[in-house]
Amino acid sequence: MITVRLPSTLRVGPGDTLDVTDHVATIAQLIDVLDRRIPGFREQLDDSVFNFAVNDEMLLYRARDRQLADGDTVEIVPTISGG
Amino acid sequence: MCTRDRVGRLVSELPQAPQYPTQGATLFVDLERREVRRGYTPMRVVHGLLAGRGANMFYLHRLLDESLHPLHPEIPLIFGSGVLTGIVPSAARGNASSWSPESGVLMDSNAGDYFPSFIRMNGIDHLVLFGEASMWTLLHIRDGQLAFVDAVRYVGLDNIDLRQRIPNDFGGTWTRDLAMVNITRAGENLVLTSAIMAGPKACYARGGPGAKMGSLKLKAIVVQGQTRDFETAQPYKGYNRTIAQKLLDTSVVKHALKTTGTPFLYKPSRMLGAMGTKNHQETTWTDRLDAEHITPYRPGMAGCFRCPVNCRPLNELTPDPADKYGRGDGPEYVTLGKFGPNVGIDRIEPVIRLNNICNDLGLDTASTGSTIAWAMELYQRGLVTRHDTDGLDLTWGNAETVEQLLFKMAARDGFGSTLADGTRAVERGGYPADALKYRMAVKGLMQSDPHDARILKAFALGLAVATRGMDHLRNRVTLEINARINDDPAFKARLYGGPVGAAPNSYDGKERAVRVCENVYAIGDSVGMCRFTTKLFNSPSLPGLEEFANQIGNVTGLEIAPEQLDTIGHNVMGVERLINYRLGVRREHDTLPDRWFDEPVTVGAYAGEKIDRGEFDRMLSRFYEISDLDESGVPRPEWRNELERVLGAPYN
Repeated sequence: MITVRLPSTLRVGPGDTLDVTDHVATIAQLIDVLDRRIPGFREQLDDSVFNFAVNDEMLLYRARDRQLADGDTVEIVPTISGG
Repeated sequence: MCTRDRVGRLVSELPQAPQYPTQGATLFVDLERREVRRGYTPMRVVHGLLAGRGANMFYLHRLLDESLHPLHPEIPLIFGSGVLTGIVPSAARGNASSWSPESGVLMDSNAGDYFPSFIRMNGIDHLVLFGEASMWTLLHIRDGQLAFVDAVRYVGLDNIDLRQRIPNDFGGTWTRDLAMVNITRAGENLVLTSAIMAGPKACYARGGPGAKMGSLKLKAIVVQGQTRDFETAQPYKGYNRTIAQKLLDTSVVKHALKTTGTPFLYKPSRMLGAMGTKNHQETTWTDRLDAEHITPYRPGMAGCFRCPVNCRPLNELTPDPADKYGRGDGPEYVTLGKFGPNVGIDRIEPVIRLNNICNDLGLDTASTGSTIAWAMELYQRGLVTRHDTDGLDLTWGNAETVEQLLFKMAARDGFGSTLADGTRAVERGGYPADALKYRMAVKGLMQSDPHDARILKAFALGLAVATRGMDHLRNRVTLEINARINDDPAFKARLYGGPVGAAPNSYDGKERAVRVCENVYAIGDSVGMCRFTTKLFNSPSLPGLEEFANQIGNVTGLEIAPEQLDTIGHNVMGVERLINYRLGVRREHDTLPDRWFDEPVTVGAYAGEKIDRGEFDRMLSRFYEISDLDESGVPRPEWRNELERVLGAPYN
């Protein structure tokens, strides 16, 4: 199972944590699964403001190819670049 | 030749009427003699450097006498608003420029709120201030006229109290028909990390502008008048709506800036292991400072003149009105980082309180927080002891001590006077020479932001080459932190005009991205646009050179193509480097603190990462090559000749 933490800024309905029990090997596959579950999810994610973190490790490139394992926690992190 | 004579000769060269619709005058204010002269920026300068920061550099180049010292009253302090300031949504900014008393190199600090727009409403684009007033003075601007007012009654007032007094004494209402820039006790006491306040929080922060203004015995500039529409070359409000919509449709504005503000950035920085912690000895910190923990204390958001974004978080720690620091504006991400991880504080409440105190005391939170973190590391290492600190315990995370240090700094009381010398504490005898090894500064300026740039090489290069010292707001390739962009090499190459390595820790092509950002941001400052809403800083889809060119055409009637704006941005950097050269800056100053070359990051996916000296030097050489800089870091002869034609020769 993959635990997915979502920011409040993504409009996906109530709750900010989803459990994904389907077999997913990569972030790209995880997005496919979530898009089937939440219509429009892929479109919302197609936005440079959102980064992925796996087990608190922020992915800055090759994000969608990142391998996932059972028990991983994936967090979608809105990222302001400047400040 | 004294500055008064230089000004006299310069004014004799300047046009005495506006050169394009909406152009405001440049007022040369002799504080010693209480005299004002005026002129207008000539067209060759407008075509070469535009207005705002760009034209400020023209005036500084012509009037600077580098044989003096930064706090000498003959060294001018120059305010300038952008060519679109006060007219275009989110263009509310202006720059304050001089010779920095903190860094010893160029001082050029940017702020928004209402002052830069309100001076334009009074027909003024630039204020060139020089000479020491015989008594503390306030300048009052109304209906385009400037009056000198005795300010002795305001001496000793910090920001909160002064902002309460001024409407009572002059009439008017903040944000409606009244704006001000002012210094606090910190500026009066020539604290080198002091700011010129431009609002409850907004300030010209970097490089010690407060001390520079204090050296002229100028307490404040109060501006009054009704806001108005400008008479422009062509209709412009339709395109203003296009720009506003572009701002509001941008994801980062919708998802973060408008709702939470910049503290959003804390979380990605700490997760990346790039959060400057304990003076950058460590690089990650607690999740208890994530932006969501500020939310309970955030009653709303505020913003600058005619900005639809409103990105400034307000705070309320307590409803008790007797607690002066129980509410305020901010904190921004910079303050959160500097007064959280960098001094070892792990609770949000003291961070917010320290933010409110800094805003009242008129202290640049970036340099002040870094200065205290430096002192804490010296204390940790035994280079500073309780004997030096007036008995205070500078252990990491001691928020009570940090609060006391802020008040001691502003008053230059005891150890506070050493801290008030900022990066110059060793030079002025406050610390032993060994202390310099732990000073996180470049070109004499403490780092602006809390990000630790050992991982992201483009960030590192930007901090090294920034003309005002170690500062991310001059050229940061911020989109390096966005995986969606890094994973689309074709899109990334289009953004930066050529290939830029996808990996954040790669050195490949990063010089190209820094060059592009430096040009765009210099133009942003010269038109008056906020950095947060300028293309490439927070998003690739915000207004950039094309939108600026269109609206400059509508507002001023000047036809300046986007490519020409890019050249002007490059020119601004070139002139800043010429000024820095006169102040002793050379290639060896385009570097980074030794810690980042010598000590690797120890946590996270990039553990082991540091800056490789050889790779950095080659990246710097490539940056010089594409920037048309010679081995000393100044424009090569052909470009230099062109810049000198625009500028005219400095007076000797």
